[in-house]
Amino acid sequence: MQDLLYFSQQLINGLTIGSTYALIAIGYTMVYGIIGMINFAHGEIYMIGAYTALIAITGLASLGVAWLPVILIVALICAMLVSSSMGWAVERVAYRPVRGRHRLIPLISAIGMSIFLQNYVHLAQGSRNIGFPALIEGGVQFGASEGFQMSLSYMQITIFITTLICMTALSLFIARSKTGRACRAVSQDLGMANLLGIDTNRIISATFVIGAALAAVAGLLLGMYYGSVDPLFGFIAGLKAFTAAVLGGIGSIPGAMLGGLILGVAESMTSGYLSGEYKDVISFSLLILILLFKPTGLLGKPEVEKI
Amino acid sequence: MRTSVKKLATAVSTSIALMAAGQAAAEIQIGIAGPMTGPVAQYGDMQFSGARMAIEQINANGGVMGEELVAVEYDDVCDPKQAVTVANSLVNDGVRFVVGHLCSSSTQPASDIYEDEGILMVTPASTSPEITERGYELVFRTIGLDSMQGPVAGNYIASQNPERVAIVHDKQQYGEGIATAVRDTLKDQGVEVAMFEGITAGDKDFSSLVTKLKQADVDYVYYGGYHPELGLILRQARQADLDAKFMGPEGVGNKDINTIAGEAAEGLLVTLPPAFDKKAQNQELVKAFQDKGEDPSGPFVLTSYTAVQLIADGIEQAESTDPFEVAEALRSGTFQTPIGTVEYDQAGDMKSFEFVVYEWHSDGSKTPVN
Repeated sequence: MQDLLYFSQQLINGLTIGSTYALIAIGYTMVYGIIGMINFAHGEIYMIGAYTALIAITGLASLGVAWLPVILIVALICAMLVSSSMGWAVERVAYRPVRGRHRLIPLISAIGMSIFLQNYVHLAQGSRNIGFPALIEGGVQFGASEGFQMSLSYMQITIFITTLICMTALSLFIARSKTGRACRAVSQDLGMANLLGIDTNRIISATFVIGAALAAVAGLLLGMYYGSVDPLFGFIAGLKAFTAAVLGGIGSIPGAMLGGLILGVAESMTSGYLSGEYKDVISFSLLILILLFKPTGLLGKPEVEKI
Repeated sequence: MRTSVKKLATAVSTSIALMAAGQAAAEIQIGIAGPMTGPVAQYGDMQFSGARMAIEQINANGGVMGEELVAVEYDDVCDPKQAVTVANSLVNDGVRFVVGHLCSSSTQPASDIYEDEGILMVTPASTSPEITERGYELVFRTIGLDSMQGPVAGNYIASQNPERVAIVHDKQQYGEGIATAVRDTLKDQGVEVAMFEGITAGDKDFSSLVTKLKQADVDYVYYGGYHPELGLILRQARQADLDAKFMGPEGVGNKDINTIAGEAAEGLLVTLPPAFDKKAQNQELVKAFQDKGEDPSGPFVLTSYTAVQLIADGIEQAESTDPFEVAEALRSGTFQTPIGTVEYDQAGDMKSFEFVVYEWHSDGSKTPVN
């Protein structure tokens, strides 16, 4: 019983972190699916989302707003707006002018953008860790009062529910809406979609905006869950999310979700049963193994060479 | 057009030559190398504030051998790679005395360069024993060693008769070194160390670690490392209702831990150098800091002040600005400083240095334990 509780606790820890990896991974995978480039500045967009949310929360607190739902919703909207416009601007400034060139050029441009944004926040906000106020506290306990107690915090529940809502909304959007259909068309064949009258530039911008908005949601959630932000916050998270996207099959949205969850659970199980020191070793070995045996990732489709 | 370019070039080169000449006359450069930015910049502030104050006061009193001290500041971000770059640019700038670096992992690679290039280094904060273990001639410190700090922490924990103790560290030279020293002390005292584990510096998610600590049912957790990670561990432990007492080295004892951990920082135990700013003999100096609007209570402010003072005293005793002669003077002399009487052994360590256990509070203040 004890062991089962311990296992479930580590599973919950892993799923929590995994679902936020998934939210960030969507941004990588959508952009890759449509224009075949890796947007390395995406981790920074997520970091900026977290900072914006923190600024909004602090601002509201100083205005005397104390009702939690209002604070959260306003912070969420601010973070999504700022991150989305940032995502849009990054595409406009750094990627569109080099689109269609050799693959390496947009990649270098993305890395440059990432360094620029990181240092910009360094200058604007300082390089120190800034504490995030604990807004959602408490939780529910399972298990006997003596011995190991499993706890599920309200914050974790919030993360699950928000992720679930975002993922459902995104899936519906891609499957049902006109823009969603255009997105799928562009990802299948950009040139053909253009010929059929789809404004591909608009669709590509929309992809960046959606990815950035989801990253902002993750930024707010993880900022609150962990309790601090710093300008390098986006780098590691971005790397992990990118791994999740590749693991699940880059270009595939359900793949990103699955990849994120698997990665999160693998990490927490490693630190739970082996040692925290091996966390990254295991998750990246997992990535290598999957790429060796299934180069397209878990749910990725093999790329058909178009002639 | 051509002549004007030529004129400009001549003017520029003359002024550069003049500037260089100006520097060469009657000035002793003191390099201050530490993190001005980055996650542990808080400690860098202490270091820079202490060293600047010492330079200011020494110059106000007529300088060293009639020459003025000039501070040259370098930012190493507490990054070993950056520290090497900084050390090289120090060499290029012709600086021969350094106060720094702060993080042990920066001090170590930088000290190799200083020793090779004949630059005297006094670190006000690096406590890793390895730094002075290599028989270097020009390396000194104004702080104790992990091998002194670890036993203080270990003995304190043992004196509380804990049932099970966990030790966590950040896998860096400083954190792992001190954690190992604590583990060895605890073993000698017969206390069971239930867990000895590393985390990755810069990580944010410690929920798995906290769950594991809860499962191991420990009543003391010692953390070797810096405040950004411990702050998050404290906070996440509190959210998960982990009921254990946390303890850390002086790398966690600053006010930034309160902004990260909030209420969860209450009751944290920290080993720190004794509060030099509370000593009666230092009150005048403390007031000088306060008049400037600076806080002298940080653990590295007065150690940095002392580092500059020792360099100045060493130069005067040796009657030379040759780093090797100054090092010889430091080894043979006895110096009265704000951190007490300083005498050096052959390795460049102080013959005695004391660490004290403090209890940290959620408002950023601290009270000595026993």
